[in-house]
Amino acid sequence: MAPHSTFAERAAGATVSGGLFADYELGAAYDEMFGPQAGAKVMPRPHYQPLAERLRQTSPEDFRRRKAMTDLSMRQDGVGFTVYRAEEGIERVWPMDPVPRIIPAAEWRQIEAGLTQRINAINLFLWDVYHEQHILRDGVVPARLVLQGSSFRREFVGANVPRRIYIHVCGTDLIRAADGEYLVLEDNARTPSGVSYMLQNRQVLKRVFPSLFNDYDVLPNDDYPAALLDVLQYIAPESVPHPTVVLLSPGMYNSAYFEHSFLAQRMGIELVEGRDLFVDGNRVFMRTTRGRQRVDVIYRRIDDDFLDPLTFRADSALGVPGLVNAYRAGTVALANSIGTGIADDKGIYPFVPDMIRYYLKQEPLLNNVETFRPEIPAQLSHVLENLEKLVVKRVNESGGYGMLVGPASTKAQREEFRAAILANPRDFIAQPTIQLSTHPTFVDGRLEGRHLDLRPFVLCGEKVTITPGGLTRVALPKGSLVVNSSQGGGSKDTWILADRTSPSGNGT
Amino acid sequence: MLSRVADALFWMSRYLERADHLARAVDVTFQIDLDLHGVLANPVELEWNALLSLLRQSPPQVREGEHAVAAVQRWLLLDGANPGSVMSCLKRSRNNARSIRGSISPAMWRELNKLHWRLSDTALQAGVAESPHDFCEETQMGVLLFHGVCEATLTHDEGWHFIQLGRYLERAEKVLRILDSRFGLLERSESADLPISNLQWGAVLRNCAAYESYQRLYISRVEPERVVEFLLVNPDFPHSVRFCLSRIMQSLTEISGRLPDRCDDEMVRTVGRLLNDLIYLDGGVLDGAGVHPFLGNALARCARIGHLLQQQYALH
Repeated sequence: MAPHSTFAERAAGATVSGGLFADYELGAAYDEMFGPQAGAKVMPRPHYQPLAERLRQTSPEDFRRRKAMTDLSMRQDGVGFTVYRAEEGIERVWPMDPVPRIIPAAEWRQIEAGLTQRINAINLFLWDVYHEQHILRDGVVPARLVLQGSSFRREFVGANVPRRIYIHVCGTDLIRAADGEYLVLEDNARTPSGVSYMLQNRQVLKRVFPSLFNDYDVLPNDDYPAALLDVLQYIAPESVPHPTVVLLSPGMYNSAYFEHSFLAQRMGIELVEGRDLFVDGNRVFMRTTRGRQRVDVIYRRIDDDFLDPLTFRADSALGVPGLVNAYRAGTVALANSIGTGIADDKGIYPFVPDMIRYYLKQEPLLNNVETFRPEIPAQLSHVLENLEKLVVKRVNESGGYGMLVGPASTKAQREEFRAAILANPRDFIAQPTIQLSTHPTFVDGRLEGRHLDLRPFVLCGEKVTITPGGLTRVALPKGSLVVNSSQGGGSKDTWILADRTSPSGNGT
Repeated sequence: MLSRVADALFWMSRYLERADHLARAVDVTFQIDLDLHGVLANPVELEWNALLSLLRQSPPQVREGEHAVAAVQRWLLLDGANPGSVMSCLKRSRNNARSIRGSISPAMWRELNKLHWRLSDTALQAGVAESPHDFCEETQMGVLLFHGVCEATLTHDEGWHFIQLGRYLERAEKVLRILDSRFGLLERSESADLPISNLQWGAVLRNCAAYESYQRLYISRVEPERVVEFLLVNPDFPHSVRFCLSRIMQSLTEISGRLPDRCDDEMVRTVGRLLNDLIYLDGGVLDGAGVHPFLGNALARCARIGHLLQQQYALH
């Protein structure tokens, strides 16, 4: 265990001490704001200096007031998500920490290039596995992993998707290792959510702490809905000059309903539920006060399984009977396409860097987290011997479920996983426990380091567009590495700095 | 627009109007109850029971240590077990708004949401036991603010007209019901004590937010015939039944895109006839025994309009 020392001690009389930063602890993880600078002294990193200074001048009382304003704003705007407990869905207010996370222009360029490369490779992979399957025949990705994956849609082999794009919206989770390197933790290629919170966090921070923006040139993120609409219109059947685009939501009791209505409103399109749509003669219509109206593009926020009771789960009341056939006939476009789940399957994840080399003939610009596959005998023994150090994940689960976090686990839990891994080694992957980077976060009247990740949103249409920013999620309990909002996570506004900013103070 | 959206806009607005009327009625009844204490033996019986019967509700269970009037107020304003309480109406309105929040302006959603949180405040709710006034006023101001925001921020297109339909249909029904119930009460009691009658007809006006407007027009004591005339046929007062019906007609016309003289569907015909009956109301109806039957008939026709609306536009 690395020795902890307070920032004030290590900064040895530096200007930042007391106030909000009283006893700010640095652990073994990479801290976004503070690090050893020239002369090995722990100081704010150059791009954080103006913010650290401003926070130093802010009293805990003032900050507490701004945090309360943040919560009130979110509550009044009805920004929240639903947590299910017993019978009643409980509306939780979206928690945002008013200290922004800052990413300098050069770092962002690197992230952008890495994500672009990744989405391109994954889209090529999806086209390939649903058509000729070269990558499987060349043995780069084990065929069994794909063809027997539970999210591989056999029904869609050979189907043509508009513009050959499978994933139009991807939310890729990035974390930072102890040396500060950005690593890809997972690609969310089904119906990723969170982008509305990215936009809402910016709106609220501008309202409650406008002075923070004075010292920085922050790139706006407001263009996302327009960029998304561009993508959706781009994939419309080509014969339609003015396509009707709708957003298909499971309805107001879905935990991401706020986001669905927010995006529909910002794009100016109808938010529809399954019962608003019907299929007639392989064409999709919506029921309006003036009769039926043709629908050309559906941004669907319903999983494959629930999309069409005729093709997938017959008990789904959320979907539209006949939708899948209409999609196959090309009369309507879907975003994301059907069958993208195989690309973010945890069993496939270790092969994404190989896909990049295979399809693009490039080296990956963003690395994966080192991943062990117990089905390989040599790795099985390593995994079993190191269960208390590793994070073990089931390949078909997501959202923080079905996981063993070694360092935080009990002996009984480890034994349970040991048995499960031995029984079905293919169903698991294991990764070293990464101490996600920390960031000053307002807790109990002062700032403390809390672990966080970053989910940028990648759009793929005529070109790849990545809105500057992303959703930064924070694990609020001390030492916790679980950032999911359903499990008590918070969030931060995420600032990408414009290129001209030179916060190091070397300015012209 | 989507039929489901039209339906939700209509009900969002209708429940809100219902909450507004109920809050006003409780406040007015609370005030008149205090006034009548000085002149009547059992005002609680009379006024609160009249309100309950107007709402077609039976008296609520009184909790231990709770005053009977406080129980009625709690039941009508706060109780989640009463689907017609102000809080229940507000919840239903907000749920309808939430289900289509992309189809109303963000400011509208925000105001409705703020109102919901304000009225959920425990201190405000606890105060109802002593006086419902603050809670009722908060409700009414919130509803007004919502409609002001709606007027100014939402495009006055089809959706906006469905909001108007919900609002004015509910209002027309409520005003008719208030008059109807007052006449029912009069037919059953013999006492025509002038000050009491004055208070009670004043309460009818206040129930329709009409007291000052009435005074301004007639500059006289509150006369039952004039109250009825004002609330039924005044063309310009926003809570008169005629005003509501003409707004309903306008919105229906805009929604269907038909010319008003082509009344070939039953809904437009029903609205048009009721509106004309009000415009050309026989003077004799107002000061004779004909008022009460007229009110009952008008109520039935309003119910028919609501039914036809559901049939025609909410196609589920």
